[in-house]
Amino acid sequence: MLQVETVDKSFGDFMAVCQANLSVGKGELVAVIGPNGAGKTTLFNLITGQLWPDRGKIIFKGENISGLPAYQICKKGIARSFQIVNIFPRLTVFGNVQVAVLSQQRRSNNIFSPAQSLAIEETKSILESVGLPDKAPNIAGSLSHGDQKILEIAIALGNEPELLILDEPTAGMSPEETAATLDLIKNLASSRGLTILFCEHDMDVVFSVAQSIMVMHQGRTLIQGKPEEVRENREVQEAYLGGE
Amino acid sequence: MELGQSINLASLGSQLLVGLSRAMILFIVCAGLSFVLGVLRVPNIAHGSLYMIGAFAAYSIFKLFGGSSTGFWLALILAPFVVAAVSLIAERALFCHLYQREHLMLLLFTFALMLIFGDLVKLTWGAKYYSVLPPSVLRGSISVFGSSLPRYNLFLLIIGPLVAIGLWLFTSKTKIGKISRAAAVDREMVGVIGINVSWVFAVAFVIGCYLAGLGGALVAPTVSISLGMDHDIIIEAFLIVTIGGLGNIWGALVGSLIFGLTHSFGVLLWPQFAIVFPYAAVVIVLLLCPRGLLKSVW
Amino acid sequence: MFRGIIDLKSVWLTAAIFIILLILPPILPRFYTYILALIFVTSLLAMSLNLVLGHGMLFQFHHGVFYGVGAYTAALMLTKTSLPEWIGFVAGPIMAAIVGLLIGWFCVRLTRLYFGMLQISLGSLIWAIVFRWYSFTGGDDGIHGIPMPSLLSSLNNVYYFILIVLVICLVVLYLILKSPFGSTLEAIRDNPQRCEAVGVNVRRHQLMAIVIATFFAGIAGVLFVVLEGSVFPDLLFWVLSLEVFIMCLLGGWFTFAGPVLGAAIMVGLRTFVGIFTEYWTLILGVILILLIFFLPEGVMGYFLEKFKPQVKEAAERGAN
Repeated sequence: MLQVETVDKSFGDFMAVCQANLSVGKGELVAVIGPNGAGKTTLFNLITGQLWPDRGKIIFKGENISGLPAYQICKKGIARSFQIVNIFPRLTVFGNVQVAVLSQQRRSNNIFSPAQSLAIEETKSILESVGLPDKAPNIAGSLSHGDQKILEIAIALGNEPELLILDEPTAGMSPEETAATLDLIKNLASSRGLTILFCEHDMDVVFSVAQSIMVMHQGRTLIQGKPEEVRENREVQEAYLGGE
Repeated sequence: MELGQSINLASLGSQLLVGLSRAMILFIVCAGLSFVLGVLRVPNIAHGSLYMIGAFAAYSIFKLFGGSSTGFWLALILAPFVVAAVSLIAERALFCHLYQREHLMLLLFTFALMLIFGDLVKLTWGAKYYSVLPPSVLRGSISVFGSSLPRYNLFLLIIGPLVAIGLWLFTSKTKIGKISRAAAVDREMVGVIGINVSWVFAVAFVIGCYLAGLGGALVAPTVSISLGMDHDIIIEAFLIVTIGGLGNIWGALVGSLIFGLTHSFGVLLWPQFAIVFPYAAVVIVLLLCPRGLLKSVW
Repeated sequence: MFRGIIDLKSVWLTAAIFIILLILPPILPRFYTYILALIFVTSLLAMSLNLVLGHGMLFQFHHGVFYGVGAYTAALMLTKTSLPEWIGFVAGPIMAAIVGLLIGWFCVRLTRLYFGMLQISLGSLIWAIVFRWYSFTGGDDGIHGIPMPSLLSSLNNVYYFILIVLVICLVVLYLILKSPFGSTLEAIRDNPQRCEAVGVNVRRHQLMAIVIATFFAGIAGVLFVVLEGSVFPDLLFWVLSLEVFIMCLLGGWFTFAGPVLGAAIMVGLRTFVGIFTEYWTLILGVILILLIFFLPEGVMGYFLEKFKPQVKEAAERGAN
């Protein structure tokens, strides 16, 4: 479904992503791992259009999407959540998700009906599926950190994506919250048939959920393969897992 | 479309020099604005008011010494310090408490200062027109390119580059200057290495305002000093600083040259709409280079 | 259409104010009627700015240009052509919106300070042209003695006309802000990057908001012509634009009706303080400083905060 082919991105002299490769098949749960600064978030930014690659191609469902603006890439079926909480703090939880739903329904420019009465069902069902329905009227900025991370995912779901990209979805969460989020991710993959690409630091999460793992180190792709292959691979062990 | 004068080499030449000398005053004022903008990241709307206070203060000092040539030179030296003192008071009493706030609030504060200074000038000097005479050595004109150029303009043509060099030396050779430049780029780092950022801001602000006052004192003999000088100069200064690149002092020089020269050539080509030329030039530059011609400091 | 977006208390309050305003002209001296009408016109201008400023966080530093363009268009059409007056009235906002589209198209490519500076330059260019073009626009004298239709010849009729137009515009602005367009605009204000990521074409949306805002500014300009019978280049001067900016902040720029309050306070103060002293500008400056130090959310924002502290606290937390 998604192919990243030998993509480069540098900032001045610093090569953030170098000849990165990634392959995500339809319905798969793929994880990208790597130490801090390996280039994971940059790679995600390149895929979703916040940044544009210097070289290389990004192909989604057979179409080259590199160089498209972020909002167009979103309309093609890719949605993402951000590593650092990136919600609409002044709006309600309901309002946060509704923005995405309205955009999906191509109704963002509608000036003729009250927003309150539109997209109620869809927004409610998304909030229910992530476990936030009772927090709907709360102002998003007042939510706990863990709930805000869940809200991140809910907003992304508002776009009815085919590919959902999650940037460190459990960062800063307690063990209980992490477990709950894990279940949520597995659920979303199975019930909605979503293809999910995520990156994480928590290796337990990664190895228990991912069907395919791509390892990045200093901007390069070391390897992509099944969890067992990755665990056995010597380069990965040296670079990242501590050479045990 | 009537042409102002017959366009020949002589008139072109003299307009060039007039434009350049006007550009020098603009540069001195804009350098101050740009410097403050670069370090504090706030465009000081009251900069024009300080320029106006500089002109009025120059008048008062000039009058104090009987309107003599010495009076002029003293005014030129002292008026900018008066302005610097005023700005220091405003900064320490009020401005410095706002540094943590959003930039919009700082901008509004400078607008409030403009309003207050404007009326304070009205209170102190009234709504009359005043004038200052240049010292005898700078009176009259000399013949350049077959037209006459006022000697005072020649003086401005010398002062301008001197101020530019002085500023450059200050920011690149003195400790305070270098710290200001660093604070412009990364104020947090400057704070981290133990320098009191608030004092850096105060110094930068006062220096910028000093330059505004200097500009006002220098322009005094060439215009009628009156209320409204603040409004006229500030919009020009803003536009110049924007096309030059926010915070970039060389950019202020480039912008001032563009502004001054397009204005003087506008006078030659289409006097009725002379003022439109520099504005149009600014618009063209901004449409092509929206962030200014030279790199902004941040 | 209105279901669920207004609460009964506000409706009663607004209706009460409206009725009071309706019955005032016959009992008030002419001068007060005039001042109220001026407040109405200025309120509409401030509300139009706040659509993009408070609800869109666009640094619309020279909104006055569109006000002036609307006013001048109407004035020129009424004095230079023999077309029926209502055409001039309609041409004003349309012309203002066209200029808004042109200027906005260049400005939305930039953010924050650059947006504002570019707008000031483009607007100043227009001011400079109008200021100097004596033969067409009257130059620095402006245009005076603009003929009005007979229905609008008495001050009371003018008052009612302006009031009705104001109310209609306010209702439309309210509906726009409560629509998906409005909620998306506010989302863009809070987090433009996120909006891009959910598929919103941020620039186009902002441009549309600017066109709407400048359209209403043009209406305000036409109302000014109706009230004063003249236009001056000051309408296009940046000082007026900054004053309108302050009205929005003074009243409360994150609220709906804050700008109305701000306009009322500014015009009221300017008129009545001006009776006692010629140093109104000084007082305005001091008020502004007090505002910045003690009431950064504006007057209405301050009162709202007292009744709805949760919103402010959450917004602050979210902003950090």
